[in-house]
Amino acid sequence: MATSVPSRTRPRPLSPHLSIYRVTVTMAMSIAHRITGAALYAGVLLLAWFLIAASSDAAGFGAFSAFIGSLLGQLILFGFTWALFHHLLGGIRHFVWDEGYCMDAPLREQLAWATLIGGITLTIVVWAIAYVVR
Amino acid sequence: MSQTPAHLRTPLGRVRFLGSARSGVTDSWLMRLTSFALLPLSIAFVWIILDLVNRDYNGVRAELSYPLPVILLLAFVVAGIVHMEIGMRSIIVDYLGGHARGWALLANTCFSALLALACIYATLRLAFT
Repeated sequence: MATSVPSRTRPRPLSPHLSIYRVTVTMAMSIAHRITGAALYAGVLLLAWFLIAASSDAAGFGAFSAFIGSLLGQLILFGFTWALFHHLLGGIRHFVWDEGYCMDAPLREQLAWATLIGGITLTIVVWAIAYVVR
Repeated sequence: MSQTPAHLRTPLGRVRFLGSARSGVTDSWLMRLTSFALLPLSIAFVWIILDLVNRDYNGVRAELSYPLPVILLLAFVVAGIVHMEIGMRSIIVDYLGGHARGWALLANTCFSALLALACIYATLRLAFT
């Protein structure tokens, strides 16, 4: 059968990565961006459980409440909070880069550090507010 | 798409999806669009959840019966799940090949769609019952 699409004759080129380049802060934050993204993917299950539990009945909500109030639940929620803020700040960083700003060595490194420190700071602030409210 | 004989295809049909970006521009644009939407929506989401931490079942139900948090939650869920579906798809095509890639892509889209429907249904049920 005739085809207009040329068949692939050799494997696609791969850029050298982990075994070639030493770890830099921008590389670490790039990896962290992907990992936090994947973690948030799983974390949405927790949001779905919360919404379904709250929309069902008091018993269902009680089960969710018990889990989220437990040590494991609080750890997961803390991790989710950090992943959300880290990924959010990482997204802003990517936007700044996409617009062509802060590409040079000192600025891009500072931006990467800002993502890390900002994410941790915002997480602590939100949890401090949560415990004050509670 | 590529199985039809060449003489049955228009010039446009022969070249579509052969560019370096293929359908990637759509995904790239949707990713940026949802990123922008998620910036304020994530902050709103955290705000809503912070407002719910000290509430019991009835308190949560009461809070999530107001239009504003419900609309913001729905927007967050829709933008977030579109964003995560595209994101996971790019992770899958980076690390998986062959049959595993196909199954993973299938699972990713089905899981995301189901999760979105579940979240939307539950949020609307909270709002209207």
